[in-house]
Amino acid sequence: MSDQLDELTLIDRPEKSRPLGVLFWVCVGWVGLNIVGAISANFLPLPDPLYQNYSAINVGPGLHHLLGTDDLGRDIFSRLVFGSRVSLAVGVGAMLIGFGLGAPLGMLAAYRRGRFDGIFTTFMYVLLAFPAIIATIAVLSFWTPRALVKIIVVIGLASVPLVYRVIRTATMGIATKDYVVAARIQGATDTRILLKELLPNVAPIGVSFLLIGIATVITLEGALAFLGLSVNPPTPSWGNMINESRTVLAQNPWLVIFPSLAMCLFLLCLNFIGDRLRSHFDVTEVKL
Amino acid sequence: MSERLLEVRDLATTFATAGGPLPAVGGVSFDLDQNETLGIVGESGSGKTVLSRTIMGLQPRTNVTVSGSARLNGFEVVGASEEAKRSIWGTEVAMVFQDPMTSLNPVMRIGKQIDEVLRVRLGMDKVAAKARAIELLELVGIPSPVERYRAYPGQLSGGMRQRVVIATALACSPKLLMADEPTTGLDVTIQAQILNLLDRLKSQMQMSVILVTHDLGVVATRTSRIIVMYAGRIVETGSTRDVFQHHRMPYTRALLESSPKVANRSHTRLQAIPGRPPNLMKLTAGCAFAPRCAYATERCHRERPELTVTESPGHAYACWNPLPTTRGVS
Amino acid sequence: MARYLTRRVVMLVGIVFVISVGAFYLIHLLPGDPAVVILGTGDSPQNRAILFKELGLNKPIWDQYFIWMRNVVHGNLGTSFISQTSVAGTIRAALPIDLELIVLSQILAFATAIPAAMRSARKPDGPLDRVLGATSFTLLSIPPFIIIVLLVLLVAIKLQIPHTGPSSYVSLTSDWLGNLESLALPAFTLAIASFVVYYRVLRSDLIATLQEEFITLARSKGLSSRRIMWRHAFRPSSVALLGTAGVNIGGLLASGFVVQYLLAIPGLGYTLIAAIAQSDYLLVQGIVLVVSVGVIVINFLFDFIINLVDPRISRE
Ligand SMILES: Nc1ncnc2c1ncn2[C@@H]1O[C@H](COP(=O)(O)OP(=O)(O)OP(=O)(O)O)[C@@H](O)[C@H]1O
Ligand code: SF4
Ligand SMILES: [Mg+2]
Repeated sequence: MSDQLDELTLIDRPEKSRPLGVLFWVCVGWVGLNIVGAISANFLPLPDPLYQNYSAINVGPGLHHLLGTDDLGRDIFSRLVFGSRVSLAVGVGAMLIGFGLGAPLGMLAAYRRGRFDGIFTTFMYVLLAFPAIIATIAVLSFWTPRALVKIIVVIGLASVPLVYRVIRTATMGIATKDYVVAARIQGATDTRILLKELLPNVAPIGVSFLLIGIATVITLEGALAFLGLSVNPPTPSWGNMINESRTVLAQNPWLVIFPSLAMCLFLLCLNFIGDRLRSHFDVTEVKL
Repeated sequence: MSERLLEVRDLATTFATAGGPLPAVGGVSFDLDQNETLGIVGESGSGKTVLSRTIMGLQPRTNVTVSGSARLNGFEVVGASEEAKRSIWGTEVAMVFQDPMTSLNPVMRIGKQIDEVLRVRLGMDKVAAKARAIELLELVGIPSPVERYRAYPGQLSGGMRQRVVIATALACSPKLLMADEPTTGLDVTIQAQILNLLDRLKSQMQMSVILVTHDLGVVATRTSRIIVMYAGRIVETGSTRDVFQHHRMPYTRALLESSPKVANRSHTRLQAIPGRPPNLMKLTAGCAFAPRCAYATERCHRERPELTVTESPGHAYACWNPLPTTRGVS
Repeated sequence: MARYLTRRVVMLVGIVFVISVGAFYLIHLLPGDPAVVILGTGDSPQNRAILFKELGLNKPIWDQYFIWMRNVVHGNLGTSFISQTSVAGTIRAALPIDLELIVLSQILAFATAIPAAMRSARKPDGPLDRVLGATSFTLLSIPPFIIIVLLVLLVAIKLQIPHTGPSSYVSLTSDWLGNLESLALPAFTLAIASFVVYYRVLRSDLIATLQEEFITLARSKGLSSRRIMWRHAFRPSSVALLGTAGVNIGGLLASGFVVQYLLAIPGLGYTLIAAIAQSDYLLVQGIVLVVSVGVIVINFLFDFIINLVDPRISRE
């Protein structure tokens, strides 16, 4: 008997999930470093990111200014550190709104099914068909004056349908599993099933999508800033810095290279972490 | 004496899986003559599909090792390149797959799927291929073949699809037809129709057929010889009569007793085989059936029995404690 | 099929209605008197009178919507009081540039993504697949606006290739070769962004398709690998590719805005950003409306094509 049980478990045991690997932890470290830098920027021994030193314009990387200065003599490194705050704030803030609204709705719809699900899903798919980035540009260009909070709210709301879809699909895969059905039959309350059975299983999918979502939002904010539709200068942000560098591309290429590197590295790490988590938890690829 | 078409010697197929090597077929030898029909029976997972695909050289292209030999009309399949095997596929040997729901391309009209073979393998032109394809559809009993030619697989029932697969397999008049559980996915009345169709086509087209099934009732009247497989090996083989009436291997009996049609006929009680098939990754040195066998002795767990021939030509079994012979009793 | 089509059309009409209300309402998002906002620097008693008559500004908001909608249906998107030109005319002049850009970039993207995915899928985890996988993953993390800036820095400024830098757009009618040169970097940038998505989607779909039983059956017919890859594997997988391409259109247009903005290519994107900078809100509204409806309609067409290619969908 015990031998048979052993066979059963052996046959049905899924393949071992891949280990996360060194690169994963390097990425986690880099993202962590950026977050710490953004939070503690005020306390770090950095020059004022807005201070214009006209005696040191467009200097290259060096001892005095680690990554050089821009065309107004502002310290690039300091602006990068302070600029990461905007990207992080928008990325995290917008996803908080997106998940705060989209995730509970998606879980509820997948669990309840029926009319509730039908109405919400149709509604969300209608919104999803609407090109989010164009909607964002439209609203932000009319909703003046621009402010960080408005940007966060607009992008956050625009991401709700996508989050809804991902979470609903993920929950539906789990809600039909035997142990959930069993819990239901045994008379567990809805709240209990949602929180104890579904949430722990949807959470890994949610987290990996959250990271990739943050990366997507940061890209979007960068594009808006590049178009001059995000926070107003002189507030530094990665996108703003790249936008400002356009006019001095020939004279000072560092001005575009450093913020680009900062942004791409950060995005790469976020995507990598999200992707690894996803395959670690064996979640099929969600189209963004 | 009819001529030898297929010679299989020590054929073994091992998959490299995440959990280690999986010997799905572990050393199988048998012969097949022209115009002969051979049945291969065994429980699900006994390696029937893997064996029949390996004989064709149709195993997956990666993570698999094949050893031994399978000579088909003089062509050595084991070790042959994909290009070389292509020259026998369709023309020498063709296959009817287990599940007609997944074995046709869902986005290609069925006519095109038959045309394709005719044009690529026989070099027919468009018009001739189409005419022949419609003929073939008619041959396998598809009503209004001219209209059906343009249908997509999704528009046909399972039985109709299996007929299309058979038509595709017959397109180049192969010498050997492998039918891998051709009726498992179909309901009972359709099953008989498809099997009768195969019977008719076999004599009409002068083919040899290997009929793979887990249901002994299916092979009882249609094959001249039977191979019983367990855990990737032959455990008993012989003429259909010998296997049904004079079997010596306990697993063969268990299989017979679990088959509704056969069991009813011999007035025995229908019995499921107790226990489950072995985990192929954890096979012991002994008889693979030992954990489930009522006759198992200590030796069975230690040593694997080889095939032992009986006085009846072609009849052999692999068992340390064979059932008493019933020959000459009746 | 007919039922499916009706359902899609009803949905299409619904979405377009929602978009039109949204676009109409944009003007009312602005703080203060819409007339003042719309007129901007063109505020004069005569213009004000024209505007009130055209938009019915003294009527209830739903009436205003219907007046506006009637004009839109007749192709009249209003007249910008800032540039003194018709909004529809400005859009008509700019739109072909966006279309050319999209067509060029999509040709490039498909021509590279399809062979790359086919090769990757043939030997998953092989050397080529690993290289392409890592490359596409890295490119996925580089936003188009960074790609174009870096390309301009390298090609236009360091290598000094003519027609590739900012403000060097050549129109198609004046010099087609120069036009191609001036659109090369933008098209390439958009192509990279599309390539990454197409390659990844097609690769994973192909790998799944190649596991299917009908592929083994095709092998057993003695068909060549080439034929199996294209006829039997690519065709079912192309459905996923088409679907992705349809969904991708919105993002593609937005990336188009970015490259036009940097290089001052006078397409819709450049015109839009310029209009925003000049507070030319009627023009902004017109562009938003045209682009949004355009994206939805293109999405719809893609759905329709997918339906034709794949007989499975409409029957399910
Ligand atoms: N591609 C593969 N990779 C790894 N293992 C495989 C592969 N194909 C088959 N197997 C294993 O080989 C064994 C034999 O499978 P096979 O399909 O031949 O059984 P079968 O006798 O045809 O059963 P059924 O009646 O269910 O069709 C099974 O344990 C199966 O898990
Ligand atoms: S060898 Fe032993 S275990 Fe195997 S079938 Fe014969 S009696 Fe049973
Ligand atoms: Mg099988």
